Amino acid sequence: MKKVLHIRNFGLLLLGAIAFFQCQDGNTPITPDEGDLTDIPYNPKPYAVPKPAHFPEVPFPADNPFTVDGIALGRRLFYDPILSADSTMSCSGCHLPQGSFTDNYAVSVGIDGIAGKRSSMSLLNIAYANNGLFWDGRSKTLEEQALLPVEDPIELHTTWANVIEKLRKHPTYPEYFRKAFGIANKGEITKELAAKAIAQFERILISSGTSKFDQFINGNIDALDEEELDGKLMFFDEGAAYNLPDGQCFHCHGGITLTGNQFFNNGIDSVASLDDFRDKGLGGVTGNRFHNGKFRTPTLRNIAFSAPYMHDGRFQTLEECVAQYADNGFGVENEDIFIGQMGFPLGNGKYSGLNAYQQRALVKFLHALTDTVAINNPDFQNPFK
Amino acid sequence: MKNVILSAFAAAALISVSACKEPADPGVDFAINFKATYDSSQLEKNKPYNFDATQIVVQRYRLYLSDIALVKDTTVVPVTDVVYLDFTPDQAASDLSKTPRIVFSGIPAGEYDGIRIGFGVNAANNAKQPSDFPAGTPLANELDYWLGWRSYIFTVLDGRMDSDKDGDMDLPYSYHCGSDPVYRVFTFNQHIHVEEGHPELNIEFDIRKLLLNDNGTYYDILANNATSNLVTDTRVAEDISSHYDTATTIKQ
Ligand code: HEC
Ligand code: HEC
Repeated sequence: MKKVLHIRNFGLLLLGAIAFFQCQDGNTPITPDEGDLTDIPYNPKPYAVPKPAHFPEVPFPADNPFTVDGIALGRRLFYDPILSADSTMSCSGCHLPQGSFTDNYAVSVGIDGIAGKRSSMSLLNIAYANNGLFWDGRSKTLEEQALLPVEDPIELHTTWANVIEKLRKHPTYPEYFRKAFGIANKGEITKELAAKAIAQFERILISSGTSKFDQFINGNIDALDEEELDGKLMFFDEGAAYNLPDGQCFHCHGGITLTGNQFFNNGIDSVASLDDFRDKGLGGVTGNRFHNGKFRTPTLRNIAFSAPYMHDGRFQTLEECVAQYADNGFGVENEDIFIGQMGFPLGNGKYSGLNAYQQRALVKFLHALTDTVAINNPDFQNPFK
Repeated sequence: MKNVILSAFAAAALISVSACKEPADPGVDFAINFKATYDSSQLEKNKPYNFDATQIVVQRYRLYLSDIALVKDTTVVPVTDVVYLDFTPDQAASDLSKTPRIVFSGIPAGEYDGIRIGFGVNAANNAKQPSDFPAGTPLANELDYWLGWRSYIFTVLDGRMDSDKDGDMDLPYSYHCGSDPVYRVFTFNQHIHVEEGHPELNIEFDIRKLLLNDNGTYYDILANNATSNLVTDTRVAEDISSHYDTATTIKQ
């Protein structure tokens, strides 16, 4: 009797297992036998993400700790056009290391040649983003975000079911998924695991801490020349004692990554009313009219590599960006108050703006944030080359 | 050998003695509700409020509190070393300010005569910087740290004013109060009853009162529309911080 029960249970289990694997995203079910991966050893090795001493610990979610194999898998997926419909484009198509993980287009163009409405964003130090992702903050975590480009019609324009099927049938990916996540069978490859791996890779894209600015804050006061130093003093509103005006920049581009990750209208659009922004930004997500035209502050680290600038790539050069700020904005209702406070206070509540020298010094300071070591970091590059 | 056995015996005895000691009071959960108000009504972002001959709107109000403690006679019972309150987070869909509720555990039940609050970040913590603290904790917040002063920004109060009441919010004001001389500690006398399930404590900060002088007259926000960035010039920052004494209300 006991034996019979046993056999029956086993049969049930087998049935269940088959049903289970049939339910996964791929089209053709992989039978447990042919998909078995348990011969491949699973020894996850934790990975301590290298970071400059003056940067905070690199945060990660409890259910997605760094492992050597997880990062290696994520790096492959990030650079592999297998994620697109026609196998022509990968994440890196719009996030290239030499562009500080942007594509250097005003607005990104997907596999079908359709242009989006927004500019690609730098992924440098993205691990520290703690207030939503995208220009409008609509995505919460890197794990959640990584699911989106694959099915976006103006990005990779395929379906996860297709991608998962390609990954399960691939000669090497099943092994990499086994090593990264300990799955027992090819059928256990899911989009969620793919997204976790990509997120692990994205989180290691940390500054090297060798820019002139980093050298300066680490005590090498000769790292910045006089103009760069003037720029730094204005950027951080520290110039009062040296007869330099406030640039107010750090209020928004603050902290070690030079973004507070907050949302602002930084005074680049002269609109008649809050309803007239071409791109509503945060307002499009929250539905609050006062949030229209507010965008998440981008990092300024390695900014020299990521032209053109702003959410729609409207400015070609850093000079244009700074010149825009120098005039104290347009006075639109929800423009941030710091936008109207560039320069010396004139006593009547108005401010002088920034003159040509002050603008030049600020641009020079932005160049002192350049970190070529990071963009050339061998661990960040395309593993297929 | 004998010695070993003996000392093992002694150790066991010691352990059992300490085990017999009265267990420390595990305390209870004690919740505090924080609220920002303007003239006693819940603060709303971007809403024009009358202030003297002007109107003002508030766009940001954030605050650090340190060393909150319950007091009874000479006893001081620590509640927390630091909290960070953002009443106006930028992604909140509603303009109504947030009312953060924080539960502190392990607070000894009992009757207290008052509560002591440090407005800002105490000197020991203020000597450190955000990268010294684990991500997600109040002091890891880089947004409210300013390298220029090597200090946290204790209070951020930003907005605009309509200087001549013509309907146009023409001038900005921005009060960023930080650095050690600006830190203030006030004790508020109020009977506080701590017991599991008992009414929670409510602490309110009134922006209007924060902008009133100690004698109840209006602070000159036109002449003093911003805190200075000179580390040596803490006058306006100290003016504002010192008003917390009258701007804070404790209720239970
Ligand atoms: C066709 C170009 C394109 C492709 C392909 C693409 N991205 Fe992006 N990416 C963008 C654009 C444009 C934005 C900004 C979009 C917005 O804000 O609406 C962006 C934003 C992001 C962000 C948010 C960054 C931040 O600071 O908030 C992350 C993370 C990201 N992409 C990761 C990826 C990953 C991972 C892939 C591959 C799975 C990928 N991207 C594929 C163009 C692309
Ligand atoms: C009130 C907040 C605020 C202030 C002050 C501010 N910025 Fe910005 N900055 C932003 C936001 C938000 C964006 C993105 C806006 C967009 O894309 O529409 C931005 C974009 C930029 C960009 C383009 C970045 C990119 O990746 O495209 C540069 C460069 C820049 N700012 C430099 C500065 C400098 C220099 C200062 C000081 C003179 C400054 N900012 C002051 C909020 C601010």
